[in-house]
Amino acid sequence: MATHGEITESLRAFEQAYADDSRLKVMNRDWDRKVLILADDLESAHTMILKDGELSFSEGKTADPDLTVISNSDILADMFFGDITPTEPYMNGSLRIIGPEDDILRLDFISLLIWGE
Amino acid sequence: MKFKKVLTLRTIVATSAGLTLASSSFVAAVQVAGFLSGDSAWLAILIAGVFCLAAGMCFSELNDILPSAAGIRLYFGRAFGEKAALTVSLLYMLVVMGVVGAESYILAKILNYAFPSIDPLIWIFFMLASVTLMNIRGIKIAGAFQDVITYGLLVSVMVLSYIGLEKLDFHLAAPLVAGGMDNLFSAVAVGVFLFVGFEWVTPLAEEVTESRLISKGMFIAVGLLSVVYSFFTVVMAANVPREELVNSPMPQLLFARNILGDAGVAWIVVISLASSITTFNAGLISVSRFFYATAREHALPAVFSKISMRYMTPWVSILAVFAVGLTLSVIILFTGKYLVLVNMAAAAECLVYALTGVAVLVLRKKINRERKFIIPWGPVIPLLTTVVFTLLMLGVFATDPYMALWMAIGLGITWWYVSRIVPVLKEKHKAGRVSRRRNQNPESRSQNPE
Repeated sequence: MATHGEITESLRAFEQAYADDSRLKVMNRDWDRKVLILADDLESAHTMILKDGELSFSEGKTADPDLTVISNSDILADMFFGDITPTEPYMNGSLRIIGPEDDILRLDFISLLIWGE
Repeated sequence: MKFKKVLTLRTIVATSAGLTLASSSFVAAVQVAGFLSGDSAWLAILIAGVFCLAAGMCFSELNDILPSAAGIRLYFGRAFGEKAALTVSLLYMLVVMGVVGAESYILAKILNYAFPSIDPLIWIFFMLASVTLMNIRGIKIAGAFQDVITYGLLVSVMVLSYIGLEKLDFHLAAPLVAGGMDNLFSAVAVGVFLFVGFEWVTPLAEEVTESRLISKGMFIAVGLLSVVYSFFTVVMAANVPREELVNSPMPQLLFARNILGDAGVAWIVVISLASSITTFNAGLISVSRFFYATAREHALPAVFSKISMRYMTPWVSILAVFAVGLTLSVIILFTGKYLVLVNMAAAAECLVYALTGVAVLVLRKKINRERKFIIPWGPVIPLLTTVVFTLLMLGVFATDPYMALWMAIGLGITWWYVSRIVPVLKEKHKAGRVSRRRNQNPESRSQNPE
């Protein structure tokens, strides 16, 4: 099991890698979304905010997320560190994403562009 | 938890029915009529509809157990293991591409009839290329537009049927005489094709506040389609000589011309364009996203996960579907064997529905959690679904013995691919991977996602 701190670290790595890629900012300039990230095996919640192409995150919940990502802490940490693709746990049901299918796909595109295959 | 985007029941019904309404549906409908004597096609269509409702109940329970856009890939993966799930899903997607191929051939024939100076090959290329371009550019048929198209189509088909019935002075010949159980069984088996895709609405599970809406939407869609197809098929078969209909790739056009002349032809061109475009679009989106996701889990070559930075779409996967669809359409154009793909799709759909029944029984035991939707009468309906659709699949094979061979070859190839090639692709990916998390936190445990 990963810790809340590790999930925070993984999101920090994700945020940094996003900030380093100018293509992503252009690509998401019209895609403003709030993504709630919840671990289902420990008390851990983060909110990732995409606004005007910039990505940031904060610890804690948001009341009105566009997307909600729920999985165990290990998967969340590995996924945001880019050690696994979101598709693998999504396809075997250990990752659940609540939201429109297009948004789920966009989130995967971002992960792909940040971490590669 | 609040949702910002919520789909309505109206749109769920429109999406489910819209994915099913295709130009090729009318070809399958006359095949159903062709098996039966008298004007009794409605019997077979209603029975197929009732069976599909049972399958719909299984999908609803699976959707309640595992609400996810991954659909059968996830349900079958949990129930039968990853290999079996990937094999069936891959085969199913290949069949869907076949349906896109058959659909473009049929639409091209209809357009060629209306505009004889333009070759069907040009129509096929133009239509597939247009929808491919739409997909690459990320243009989707949105909820409200889908509502207008689907409900417009349903009303339009009912109005045409009514006009046709009026031409018959509201008289049908022997509407209750099917001409033998064997014939009725074969007709029901092919009738399943009329409902192909109604369950594709399950990927919307994460976009509704109440997962029961998906079930409700599927049931209403199957009910509506049963009535509309029954009415249209009976009236069509009563107005035009059956031989003529059964041997034509555009029976709906023959019928409309028969009752309304040139106005009927124009009407059918509009209906066919609307129904085929939604089918192409749904087929292209589903298959290309499936290819993309499969490449992302390293079960297809990485090239399929390439995305367009400009439009945010998996362009290589979309182009691959276009290439396969175009190839199949051209093969059909030169061989005229469009019915092979219609029957193949019916058989593949029966296989998927049969497995869905088993998946419900397996997952009821494997996953124990609170449910909002449980099929009544315990294992009866899932078991019945499995038995009935297995028999119907055999029924399709009985009407065309080569179909069983094609299906076995298809399953054999996909099974071989999943067993031999996929492990190599996964191993290759694993070897080139560096763990950032473990590098950053050496004490952190490695994890294994189930």
